[in-house]
Amino acid sequence: MTSHADLRNRAGVGNAFPASQPREGERLADLFGTSEDSEVLLRAIYAEDRVAVPSEGGGYRVVELPVEGDRYPGISDSDPAAFVEECEIYEQFGVRPRGAKPLNRLLVPPHGEYRFPHLGSPAPKELRAPHYVAGPALEFPVGPVRGVAQESLYIGLVTSGEEVIDLYLLLWHKHRGIERRLEGLPVEKALFFVERAEGLSAVANSWAFCRAVESVLGWTPPPAAENARAIALELERLYNHAAAVAALGQATGLSVGQAQGEIALEQLLRLNAAVFGHRYLFGVLALGGVARLPDMDALRALLPRAREELAHVLEALFSTNSFLDRLEAAGVVAPEVAARLGLVGPVARASAADLDTRRDHPFGAYRDHRVDVPTRPAGDVLARMEVMDAETRESLRLVEELVAAGDEAPEAKGSAAAQSSGTLRAGSALGWCESSRGEVLAWVDLDGNGRVRRARLRPASVRNWRAFDDAARSRNVFTDVPIIEASFWLTVAGFAR
Amino acid sequence: MSRLGGHQAEGDLAPPRASRQDHSAPLERDAQQDVDALSARLGSDVRSMFSRSLHIRTVDTGSCAACESEVRLLVAPHYDLHRLGLFFTPSPRHADLLLVTGAVTRAMDGALAKTYAAMPDPKVVVAVGACPLGGVYSEDAMVHGDLESVLPVDVFVPGCPPSPLALLHGLLVAAGRLKEKVEASDFCFRGELLDGGAPEGGVPLR
Repeated sequence: MTSHADLRNRAGVGNAFPASQPREGERLADLFGTSEDSEVLLRAIYAEDRVAVPSEGGGYRVVELPVEGDRYPGISDSDPAAFVEECEIYEQFGVRPRGAKPLNRLLVPPHGEYRFPHLGSPAPKELRAPHYVAGPALEFPVGPVRGVAQESLYIGLVTSGEEVIDLYLLLWHKHRGIERRLEGLPVEKALFFVERAEGLSAVANSWAFCRAVESVLGWTPPPAAENARAIALELERLYNHAAAVAALGQATGLSVGQAQGEIALEQLLRLNAAVFGHRYLFGVLALGGVARLPDMDALRALLPRAREELAHVLEALFSTNSFLDRLEAAGVVAPEVAARLGLVGPVARASAADLDTRRDHPFGAYRDHRVDVPTRPAGDVLARMEVMDAETRESLRLVEELVAAGDEAPEAKGSAAAQSSGTLRAGSALGWCESSRGEVLAWVDLDGNGRVRRARLRPASVRNWRAFDDAARSRNVFTDVPIIEASFWLTVAGFAR
Repeated sequence: MSRLGGHQAEGDLAPPRASRQDHSAPLERDAQQDVDALSARLGSDVRSMFSRSLHIRTVDTGSCAACESEVRLLVAPHYDLHRLGLFFTPSPRHADLLLVTGAVTRAMDGALAKTYAAMPDPKVVVAVGACPLGGVYSEDAMVHGDLESVLPVDVFVPGCPPSPLALLHGLLVAAGRLKEKVEASDFCFRGELLDGGAPEGGVPLR
């Protein structure tokens, strides 16, 4: 299997920026800017996956990169995955990579007389989406107001009639500036916004954020809370995969499959409400622990039926050939592309990338509970569906294991309240988690009063949208685009946050 | 045999009925009774007013995607809006009801205004969730903070996100509001045009 590093080396990495060079076997997980004393500082996060012995940092390395004037050596030259982040840093701070490489508009809307919320001061210029349609092709505009209860997103479909020749996305319609809002907020209030950055991955994002804050403050959640967090995370994965399956049924025009998927989804959401008190598991996590422990009796009572319903719909879909034919060879993300763009989650795993933070960088209850990570080599929609199917089974197994572990350890039944008596400290730290969409990162810098100086949220959607155009371009027709979108199952909210 | 084909499919597709007989938890049974009771009221109102065709257009103005998930579930088997004569429509020109979710970002101003303008009168606007109520985001350079500063809102549905049951209730209230507007509208043009515009309180026929 080809690792990310192999491919990067094969591409002939320049030596422009020694500090930013990934070590052997490392993957660029994130790149973002911070502003300290009106000086812009870039931070790159490198992940060494599959570390044999999990260290304190969990295999993540945060590297600081200096900026000279308003320029820095471009990282996307050697690591194309960084291009999106370079655009974002330019919008926020006005600093850009050396050279004349055009940067795209990412999150700041193009119109408006109002002052854009730069984190830094210089106004961005020359932001453009370089895009040309020539010859017998035309651009078919989709969005930002799209289908029924779909998120706002502009898809520029370039077509000659049926085949998708090119596709580009404008994802800024939903930008709410959450990272900016977090600045100056007390960490408890910040958590409220972190959950709402990507509502369908509320547990994963808030867990990553909580872990970052807890690392700075030196708090240790009690075992019962770690157990509860893991149960919540797996329930979140289950309902998201059920929703993706329902969406695949809808996108392929298979109404019965869609309805069955929605039945499973609604049951899982009702299960969430019965176990944790919220259908989308908002407000479950608290800093230093959880706000409420799961109702284990409700979980034991409702889980078998949800399992039955999930097994039913997955078994039925996998024995419906007309459905499977529609998925096969649609929306292919080649393993090289997945590695080059630094994809995460089911999309990466369906393209042969063997990544899962729960296993590679174990945290919380996953230190005691091993996770079996499914991968597929094909990279098409069918492979992603197979990965989601396998993950659904694994999550069901994990939930049972976690429930049993909660029963076996009577001392773990104690308080799940936050150990907030600890002193407040200044400092910065990284937290991570595995949402149903993939690796989630949160980096926080706290002042000494328990307030956020700068927070960086990187939901998995930020990572995976960048492969959407590649997937859609790979010899697909119009009607494949919704199918690919359902199989990625990303949120615009998480990207635009 | 595939369970998606053949005779079994019909039985499988009817979970509310099946669940009441079978192994449903008490919690779920209560919820389902609420759904049925609300649905009966909503259905009769909509039927009498629009002969089973109240059409809904949704616009997302910066939600966290949870509201979208709940709105999508309205047409799922457990709630099944279609049996009540309510439909989602992709075209605002066919829509009587605008369902707005999200923090009302300024970037969506144009799209939201065009969608609203394209809807025929009389129309109602339903704000879904805590964000358009102004409960999550305060006004800043990116968001308006609440929907009422942009559009006239007829019904607010609170919740973060509001459950499909709360949305059904909101639609019931909105259907009542639409009924008032329909009754107050002068659909038949009888008289002169005032300054070339619409007659007082009415909509001219063109």
